[in-house]
Amino acid sequence: MNAATLHPLARDYLKRLKKAARRLPRARRNELIGEIESHLTEALPAGASGAEALNVLERLGGPEQIVAEAESEAKETPRPGMRESLAVILLLFGGFLFLVGWFVGLHLLWSSRFWTMRDKLVGALLVPGGLLPAVVLDGAGVQTCGRGRKGAPPECTPYISPTLRAVMIAGLIVLIVLPVISAVYLSWRSRRSRIALS
Amino acid sequence: MIEYCVLALLRDGERYGFELVRTLSEVPGMVTSEGTLYPLLSRLRRAGVVETSWRESPSGPPRRYYRLTSSGRAVLEAFSGEWASFRNAVDHFLEQEKTA
Repeated sequence: MNAATLHPLARDYLKRLKKAARRLPRARRNELIGEIESHLTEALPAGASGAEALNVLERLGGPEQIVAEAESEAKETPRPGMRESLAVILLLFGGFLFLVGWFVGLHLLWSSRFWTMRDKLVGALLVPGGLLPAVVLDGAGVQTCGRGRKGAPPECTPYISPTLRAVMIAGLIVLIVLPVISAVYLSWRSRRSRIALS
Repeated sequence: MIEYCVLALLRDGERYGFELVRTLSEVPGMVTSEGTLYPLLSRLRRAGVVETSWRESPSGPPRRYYRLTSSGRAVLEAFSGEWASFRNAVDHFLEQEKTA
């Protein structure tokens, strides 16, 4: 930008800002200096008096203060990490780790700040144990059907009526689909960009 | 809290940095130093709640305009609801104090 037309006091200020901003990452530094430079250009019309310039600079605050703010902003960019990925995986498969894994996942889910209360309830209730209930139901219902003798229709022990079988298969599908949907939902919600409260 | 004021200022359309900063600092007690708002704007941009684009200015160099993203709009809406109930709760106690 046209730094040459800036008020001498503003030019001096920019010089001090550039010096203070050396410790910022380059992209962050260029963005900050660019924004402050346009601020000075907008705030100080050509031929502004020294008093006007001092006023504008005072409202702006010292270069050190601005750079310190930029530094603290740089540190607190919350991103979901290992804990969040682990929570989703354990909620889905942790049931197979002696069920304890699922509880560990539940704890990780509950202690994370990347999910709202509603997300946490979805994660906890859909479905407790993750995929484990589906496997249990599968073991209880489908596997008890034995092979029929010599061309006779298959025998099931204990006998399960076709209606009950249909209900069990439907239940099985629900118990597989729900935890998977819940896991996809949780990872989507954790990655949704959000801003930390100041 | 200032983050949400920025998002609210952008609800009806885009604004350039200086315009945002001046509007905020004109409200007493809101901002101590105008310069510290620029790192905040940068954070909002990196968080994906606002996006920026350069536009020619009728006078002087091009301006960087800020506008809400759809995620920013969602964040603002969620906050508006939370804020309303929080404000009502605080008012409830303040009013009680007064009448007691």
